[in-house]
Amino acid sequence: MTIAEIHACDDWLSCKLDTLDKVHAATADLQKQEIWQEVVAGLDSVAVQFDPAHLMPDEAKDLFQTQLNSLTTHLMTKAETVTIPLCYEAQFAPDINWVAEKMDLSVEAFIALHSSAQFSVTMLGFMPGFAYLQCLEKIPAIGRLSKPRQKVAVGSVGLIGEQSCIYSFNSPGGWPIIGRTPIKLFDPDRTRPALLTASQRIVFEPISSAEFNALLNETLP
Amino acid sequence: MTLMVVKPGLQTTLQGLPFSGYRHLGMPAAGAADCLSLALANRLVSNIPTAIALEITLDDAKFKVEHACTIALTGAASFIHLNGEEKSLHSSIPTKAGDEIHVGAAHRGCRSYLTLAGDIDAQSILDGQSTYLGAALGGFRGRALAPGDIVKLTPTASKRETYLQTPDNLRPVIADRYLIRVTAGPEFSALSADQRQLFFEGKHEVGQRSNRMGLNLSGIKLAPQNSTQMQSAPVFPGTIQCPPDGESFLLGPDGQTTGGYPRIAQVIRADRHLIGQLRPHAKIQFAKVTNQKATEIYRQKLSLLTPWLGTVSLW
Repeated sequence: MTIAEIHACDDWLSCKLDTLDKVHAATADLQKQEIWQEVVAGLDSVAVQFDPAHLMPDEAKDLFQTQLNSLTTHLMTKAETVTIPLCYEAQFAPDINWVAEKMDLSVEAFIALHSSAQFSVTMLGFMPGFAYLQCLEKIPAIGRLSKPRQKVAVGSVGLIGEQSCIYSFNSPGGWPIIGRTPIKLFDPDRTRPALLTASQRIVFEPISSAEFNALLNETLP
Repeated sequence: MTLMVVKPGLQTTLQGLPFSGYRHLGMPAAGAADCLSLALANRLVSNIPTAIALEITLDDAKFKVEHACTIALTGAASFIHLNGEEKSLHSSIPTKAGDEIHVGAAHRGCRSYLTLAGDIDAQSILDGQSTYLGAALGGFRGRALAPGDIVKLTPTASKRETYLQTPDNLRPVIADRYLIRVTAGPEFSALSADQRQLFFEGKHEVGQRSNRMGLNLSGIKLAPQNSTQMQSAPVFPGTIQCPPDGESFLLGPDGQTTGGYPRIAQVIRADRHLIGQLRPHAKIQFAKVTNQKATEIYRQKLSLLTPWLGTVSLW
């Protein structure tokens, strides 16, 4: 693929890419190259980190350039879809009324819309396994809470419009919360510690609080 | 073999090697904030340079050794006392069961490393054992040590006790002002020529909101251009970002993996261990070097350390 200019620091390099699909394709390919200690995707760039004891920044830059160039455009076509159970009941969704109101919908209509929409994982960041999502359908801008919460519960799903997120740990946060999943987004003991990876498609499946509690105790391999 | 925490001070965590290869999942590096002091302290007890140690922050701290063991302390502490008797930093200290260790508060610098001969028991996750407080992972149950906690240790198998001291020329200077070398970050151009001059000629001061995640730099207010148009992008320990309010911040070992503010500069690998010694009100001046120069400095530093520490890496 044709790439923009590479920026080099003394032990990491970054390159801007013009589409998110290219970022995801480049990230997946670069991860196969053992020379990079880290390969990290941003929303419009990818970065790699290397060991300057063994590689000069100029050599690293040439390698990075060559690898990015040879990616051609075998961009990922078949994105994997992951279904995430989500409980929209009030105890797990403190802002659902406010969000539905902002969208001129009843809570029931909001849930119907939200659980039929497709999301794409744009990036992991903020905390281990924390996923940033982009809705593939049109959703009006909702905005953040005027006052961030001191504690957002693990598994909470935030929605500020077409952008959404899933909290992988209890943490402070300012996104309106419209539901909670019992599935662990990050578990260092699993073979794949992070449940989600960039470029995956997500759909939410509504569950009751009873189902939520039952699933809470299940662990993934 | 065990060590009891009597007074952990402001924040004492188990830290060693950072996590590597998991940033794409949002997992920060963690690990010792001052990796050089960690390696030096491990050398004095004949551990590998990256073995898990107790990272002690600012305050004084007290521990009780429950079995005989060789210990060592490096870093910012003003003293180390064993049963009230003054011992030296940067030297092996033999201890016996019941001995009380008192680590003096730091008057300059920020962090000290207490090592014990052997393998400290720490939670293993993602090929590492350091503590990442943000998600309560690794180390001692993912948290800072509290009074009464018992740190367990598998002692080094029957090694003859040797008394060691860090060679004078390798003892890091713990200061309250530092010159830190950086290379240009990807959004260095967000700073105009005047702003760049201000960034490099001015004295930055470490702010109060500073911890293992990052340090806010007060004293100099910058005016970045187009800073609100940026998309979230990868960042690393040592990245200096500048939000629209102009108060830049420097990411520490626990810093997030991506950030949405212009990455104006990057502390070079060779100087990143200094971040661990920056305390609130410390003064910093930044000097710009080329990548080529930064790599030369890094390799020189490693070759200076190798005769004493063996093959070592800094982060």
